[in-house]
Amino acid sequence: MAGRDKPDLPAHRSLFRTILAPTVWAVHFLFVYGFSAVWCAKDWGAAGTLSWSITAATLLALALIVGLAVAMWRQWDYMDDNDYIHDLSTDEHRREFLGHAGFMLACLSFVAVVFSTMPAWFAGTCL
Amino acid sequence: MTRRAAAALCLLSLLALAACTGPQSALDPAGRDSATLSRLFWFMLAGAAVLWAAMNGLMFYAWRVDPRPMSVRGARTLIFAGGVVLPTVVLSGLLGYGLSIMPDQRAPGDGLRVEVTGEQWWFRVDYWPDGAAEPIRSANELVLPVGSRSEITLKADQVIHSFWLPSLGGKTDMIPGRVNRMSLEPTDVGEFRGQCAEFCGESHAWMAFTAKTLSPDDFAAWLTAEAAPAAPPRTDLARSGRDAFMAQGCGGCHAIRGTPARGQVGPDLTHLGSRLNLAAGALEVTRPDLIAWITDPSAIKPAARMPAYDHLDTGTIAAMAAYLEGLR
Amino acid sequence: MTDLGEGSPRLDSRRRDLEKDQAHVARGTYPPTEESLTRPIDPEEAEAQADRLRAVWDDPPGWRYWSAVNNSEVGVWYSMTAFGFMLIAGALALVMRLQLAVPDNELISADRFNQFFTMHGSAMMFLFAVPMFEAVSILLLPAFLGARDMPFPRLSAYGFWAFLIGGVFVMGSLLFDAAPSSGWFMYPPLSTLDEGLGTDIWLLGLSFIEVASIAAAVELIVGTIKCRPPGMRINLMPLYAWYVLVVGAMILFAFPPLIAGDFLLELQRSLDWPFFDPARGGDPLLWQHLFWIFGHPEVYIVFLPSIAVAAMIVPAAAQRPMVGYNWIVLSAVGTGFLSFGLWVHHMFTTGLPSISLGFFSAASEAVVIPTGIQLFAFVATLLAGRVKMILPMLWIAGALAIFTVGGLTGVMVALAPFDWQAHDTYFIVAHLHYTLFGGMVFPLIGGIYFFYPFIRKRTLSERLGRISFWLTFTGFNIAFLPMHLTGLRGMPRRVYTYPGDVGWDTLNMISTVGAFVVAAGILVFAWDLVRPKGAPMSTRNPWNAGSLMWSHDIPDQFWGVRSIPYVTSRNPLWDQPGIVARMDQGGYYLPDAREGLRETIVTSAIDARPQLVARVTGPAWCTIWAAVFTGGAFIFPTFSWYLPALLSGIAAVACIVWWLWTSTALIPERPMKDVGLGLSLPTYVSGPSAPGWWGVFITMLGDMVAFASLIFGMFFYWTARPDFPPPQAEHAAGGWVVASALLYTASWAATRAARPVQRRGRVPLAQVLLTAGALTATAGAAALVLSVSGLDPTSHVYPAMLYAVAVWTAAHTVAGVVMQLYCLAGTVWGKVLPEYDAPVWNTVLFWHFMLVTALGSAAAIGLLPRLL
Repeated sequence: MAGRDKPDLPAHRSLFRTILAPTVWAVHFLFVYGFSAVWCAKDWGAAGTLSWSITAATLLALALIVGLAVAMWRQWDYMDDNDYIHDLSTDEHRREFLGHAGFMLACLSFVAVVFSTMPAWFAGTCL
Repeated sequence: MTRRAAAALCLLSLLALAACTGPQSALDPAGRDSATLSRLFWFMLAGAAVLWAAMNGLMFYAWRVDPRPMSVRGARTLIFAGGVVLPTVVLSGLLGYGLSIMPDQRAPGDGLRVEVTGEQWWFRVDYWPDGAAEPIRSANELVLPVGSRSEITLKADQVIHSFWLPSLGGKTDMIPGRVNRMSLEPTDVGEFRGQCAEFCGESHAWMAFTAKTLSPDDFAAWLTAEAAPAAPPRTDLARSGRDAFMAQGCGGCHAIRGTPARGQVGPDLTHLGSRLNLAAGALEVTRPDLIAWITDPSAIKPAARMPAYDHLDTGTIAAMAAYLEGLR
Repeated sequence: MTDLGEGSPRLDSRRRDLEKDQAHVARGTYPPTEESLTRPIDPEEAEAQADRLRAVWDDPPGWRYWSAVNNSEVGVWYSMTAFGFMLIAGALALVMRLQLAVPDNELISADRFNQFFTMHGSAMMFLFAVPMFEAVSILLLPAFLGARDMPFPRLSAYGFWAFLIGGVFVMGSLLFDAAPSSGWFMYPPLSTLDEGLGTDIWLLGLSFIEVASIAAAVELIVGTIKCRPPGMRINLMPLYAWYVLVVGAMILFAFPPLIAGDFLLELQRSLDWPFFDPARGGDPLLWQHLFWIFGHPEVYIVFLPSIAVAAMIVPAAAQRPMVGYNWIVLSAVGTGFLSFGLWVHHMFTTGLPSISLGFFSAASEAVVIPTGIQLFAFVATLLAGRVKMILPMLWIAGALAIFTVGGLTGVMVALAPFDWQAHDTYFIVAHLHYTLFGGMVFPLIGGIYFFYPFIRKRTLSERLGRISFWLTFTGFNIAFLPMHLTGLRGMPRRVYTYPGDVGWDTLNMISTVGAFVVAAGILVFAWDLVRPKGAPMSTRNPWNAGSLMWSHDIPDQFWGVRSIPYVTSRNPLWDQPGIVARMDQGGYYLPDAREGLRETIVTSAIDARPQLVARVTGPAWCTIWAAVFTGGAFIFPTFSWYLPALLSGIAAVACIVWWLWTSTALIPERPMKDVGLGLSLPTYVSGPSAPGWWGVFITMLGDMVAFASLIFGMFFYWTARPDFPPPQAEHAAGGWVVASALLYTASWAATRAARPVQRRGRVPLAQVLLTAGALTATAGAAALVLSVSGLDPTSHVYPAMLYAVAVWTAAHTVAGVVMQLYCLAGTVWGKVLPEYDAPVWNTVLFWHFMLVTALGSAAAIGLLPRLL
C-alpha cells in the first residue's frame, strides 16, 4: 500500500509522541540521580547494590525506548518508499517526518541512557 | 618527512613544556593525581586538535576550493559518520576512562590526616597525627609527606571557598555547614603554591597558601618541630616586641603556643617565622613585610579583618615584627 | 457544506471532534483549489484593500509612536536596547582587562572589580543574550511564518518596557557604586552576608526581567505553533521556527527554578528566613542546584537561537535546501532535552558523591552528539551546494571555527576529574567565551548582516563588515586562546589582581591587547549599524534565499504581509513560483481589513489548518503603565519600601485587567468572516483552538516548574540535612491544612462547573458558581496561612519552607480569584456571552493548575513532613 493511502491516526499527529523517548531519558536520569543521591546521603548500603539497581532501571528504560523506536520506525515507514526527505504539505509527509524525527530521538535517547549507566560501573562509589 | 616532523614536534613540545612550568601549574605535576590529569589533558588536546582541523578543513574545502557539489547521499553519510558515529565512539571511550579514574583520585588517605578550614581570607590548617587528641595548628601552609596519600578534610567558616593545589591534584570546595574531603599523594619533593578558587569576597585574590612536600623522614622531623611551643625571643628588640604584642591584645585573636596568646579568630602564629608566606600569600615573612602588614592590613588585602595598628609608633611595630620573624 | 480535508470523511469527523467545543468552526474550501489560486484580481479593488490594511497597521504618528506594539517596532527597540547593554557590559570587560594587564595593579579597587565582573556576567546573560534572542525572534518570526504580527503584540511591548526599566535599574546601580558584587551566580552565604543593596538589586531587578523573558517565551511558542500560514505543516516549518519552539520550551523549564531560588534568597535577605544558613538547618548548596538548573540550559538557550540564524544563512550561502532537515530538528530537540541533565557539571567540585558527578559527566558528553549532528549538517549542506561567498557566511564560518574550540574544551571539562583542575580558572573563562562568541556573538552579527536588508530595507557595508570580522576574529583569539594556558598554570577566575612571580603576567598582557582589538572590531560593526545610509535597496531578495521573509515589501509596510499565503514547501520562494506576486496582489488569505481591525490567521498546531481570524491588539499606553507599575512592585522592595511596592503591584494588576478587558476576546460583530479563497473562519474561538488558551497553558506549565522547584527544595533538605524536619519540630496545624485542601477543591469544582453551565446559557447559575469559587478560594488561602501561622519561620529552615510554600500558594490564589471575578464581571457586563466564553475557558484552565498547586502545597505542608 502506498504511504499516501495509509490511515492517518491522531497518534500520527502527536508531537508529544515524538518526544516521548527523550522524556524516558529524562525520567531515567532524574531517577538514577535522585536515587543515588538519597542512597549515598542516607547510607543505605553497599555501592554494588546501588549499581545493580541503576542497571535494572536502565534496562527498563531501554526496553521502553526500543518499543518507542519500533513504533516510530513504523510511523516513518522507511521500507515502504525509502523516503527520508519529507518536504511536502501532505498527511503522509507530516506523519513520516514525525516518525523519522521520533525514531532518531529514540536512538539518541538510547545512547544517552547507556551513557547515564556508565557511572554506576566505572565510578560506582559514594566517595 | 618523518624525521624533520618529529624534530619539530619535539621542539614544539619542549617549548610547550617550558610554558607549562610554574609553582601553581596543573601541567607541571608533582603528585599522582595531577600527573594523571596532566597526561589526560595532553591526550585530549591532541585529539581535539585533530578533530578541529578535520572539521574546519572540511568547511574550508567546501568554501574556498569550491568542489563539485557532493551528492545528497554523500552529504547524509557525512552527517551520520561525523555527527553520530564518530562522537558516540570517541565519547564512549573518553567517558569510560574519565569515570574510571575518579575513584582513584578520591581514594581514602592512608597516611597523614589534615583538616583545612577556609576563613575570610586565609586557611586554617590542623594536622591530626595518629592518636592525637588535639591538632597541631598552623595556617596558610600545608606540609605533606611524599609517597603516601594524605586525607584532607575541608571546612569553611563564613562563606564558600575552594581548596586547590594544582601541582598535586584537583580542587574541592569548602562549604559552610558541610564537611568535604579529598586526598592528595605527592610524588616529588618541592615547594608549591595553592589558592582559593571559589570567589569569596573582596580579598579573594589574596587567599593563597604555600605547600611543601618532604620525604617521610624529613616530614616526621618537621611535624615534631611544628608541634613544639614557640621559641622564646632571643634579642632585646624581639623581647620588647613580644611585650608589645601581648600588651596590644594581639593574643585575643592570634595564638602563639607557649605564651598567653590563645586567640583562635586569626591565624596561629606559633611558627610564623618558618613559613614561606605571610597573610595568605600576599606577603613574605620578612621584617619590612611584617611591618607593612601590622601597620595597615587592609592596604594590602582589601577588607582584611585585622585592624590597622598605625596608631603605634614605628619603633613598636618594628619590634613586634622582629619578634614574629623570630618565631621559627 | 464543510469540505475541510483531503482525507476520508471518517478522518474529517475525527478532526471536527477536536473542535467539538467550538460554537463556530471553519467553513468552506480548504486547501484552496488551483482555480482560486490563479483567479485574476481586480487591481482597483486590490488597491482599496491595501489602503485599508495600511491604515489599520500603521504606527501611531508623532510622540504617540512609542505606544506602538507592532513586532517590527518593538523588535527593533528591544534588540537595540539589548545591544546597548552589551556595549556597556563589554566596556566593563575592557576595564577589567586593563586592571589585569599587569600584576599588582591598582587601577580599580577590589570592590569595584567585583562589581564589574558581576555586572559583566549578569548583563551579558540577562540583558543581552536572552533578550537578544527574544528581540530578534519577535522581529523575524512573523516574517518567516508569513504572519501579520505576533499573537499577543501588547505582551511583546509589555515585555520590552519591563526589560528596559529592569535593565536600566540594574545597570544604573553601577553609577552609584552600589552594584551587586557577589558574582553573576550570587552564591550564598556570600550574597546573604552582603550588607549593601547590590544583592537585592540583582535579585529583584533580574527577577523582573526573567518574568518578561518568560512572557516573551510564551508568545514565541504560541506564535510558532498557532500563527503559521495555512499549509505550513510541522514538517515544513523553517528551521528557525523549530529552534524558537525548542528554546521557548527550554526557557519555560529553565527560568522558573531560578525564580524560585530568587524567591527563597530574597526571603532570607529581607525576612531572615534561613534557607541558606547552615546554622539554622539551611544549606547553601540548594541555591547552587536551583541556579544551575537554570544556568546550564541557559547556555543552550543562548546558543540554539544563534545556530538557528546560521541555519537560515547556510542554505542561502549554499543555494540549496538544508541537507538533513530532520537531523537538525532531532538535534535541536535532543539538545533541548539533554541540556537539562548537565547542571551539576558546574558543581563538580562541591564534594558530591563520585557516582552523582558521573551522571552529569555522562549527560555532558551525550549532548555533544546532537551538537555534532547540527554542525555536520551545516558542513554537509555547504559541500552539497555551490557556496556563494556572502559576508554573513564569513561570520558563520568564523563562528564555527571558534565554537568548535569551545565545544572541544567542553568535552574536556565535562570529564569531572579534569574539571577538578580546570574549574573556576581562566581555562573555563576561555572555554565559555569560545562557546559564547562562537555560539552567539559571531552568528548574531552574521545574522544582522544577513537580515538587515529585511529590517531596514538597506544593506550594510561589505567593506566595514570584513574589517570588523577580521578585527574581531583575530582579536578574540589573541585575547582568549592564551587564557587556556593561563588557567592551567593556575590562575583562578574572579581575582582582581595577581602576584608577579607565578608566571601569569605575559599571558595576561597578551589577553588585554587582544580584548582591545575585539573592541575595535565591535565598534566598527556598531558604526556600520548606525551610520547614515543611502537610498533603499532595489531588490527584495538580495541573497536569493528561499524563506517567506524575503517577500517583504520595499518600501516598508507595517502590515507584515499583504495577504497570508498558502504554503506547500519549506522554501516557498524557491519552490512556489509566483507566490510573491500573488501575495502582493492580495491573492491569498485575509487581503483586506474591512472592519478596521488588526487581524491574522490562526492555524492548528501540527497541520496548520486555518481555525480562526484572530483580532490582535493595537497600539496602547496601558502596556507601558503596566510595565512601570510591575517594575515598581519589584524595585521598591529593594529599598524595603513595602507599602509603595504593594500599591504599585495593585496598580499593575489594574492596568493588566484593563488591557485584557478592553482589547482581548472582544465580542465580534459577526461570528464568521470570509477570508478569501472560498474559506470562512470564525472570528472568535474558546478553548484549545484559541491562542489565549495556549498562552495560559504555557505560562502555567512554567509556573508548575517553579512550584516543583520549591517542593524539590524540601526533598533536598531532607537528603542533605539530618535535621530536616527537626526531630521535635512543631508541624503545621493538620485540621487547617485539610480544610484548605477541601476549600480549594470546592473552588476548582465550582469554576469547572460554571463553564458548561454558562455555555448552556444559564448565566445566573454560572454567576453563583463563580462567586462561590472566589469565596471558597479566599477561604482556602486563609486556611493554608492559618495552618502555619503558629510557627516561627526565622527559627529553622523547616518552618521557613512551610511558610514559603504557603505564601507561594496564597499569592497564586490572588491571581485565581481575580480571574474568577473577571469572568463574573464579564457575564454581568456582556464581555462573556454563552457562545463567546474564552475568558471562562482560560480561567478553568488556570484553576486546573491552581488545584495541583493547592493540593501539592497541602501535601507538602501537612503530609510530607509527617512521613519523612
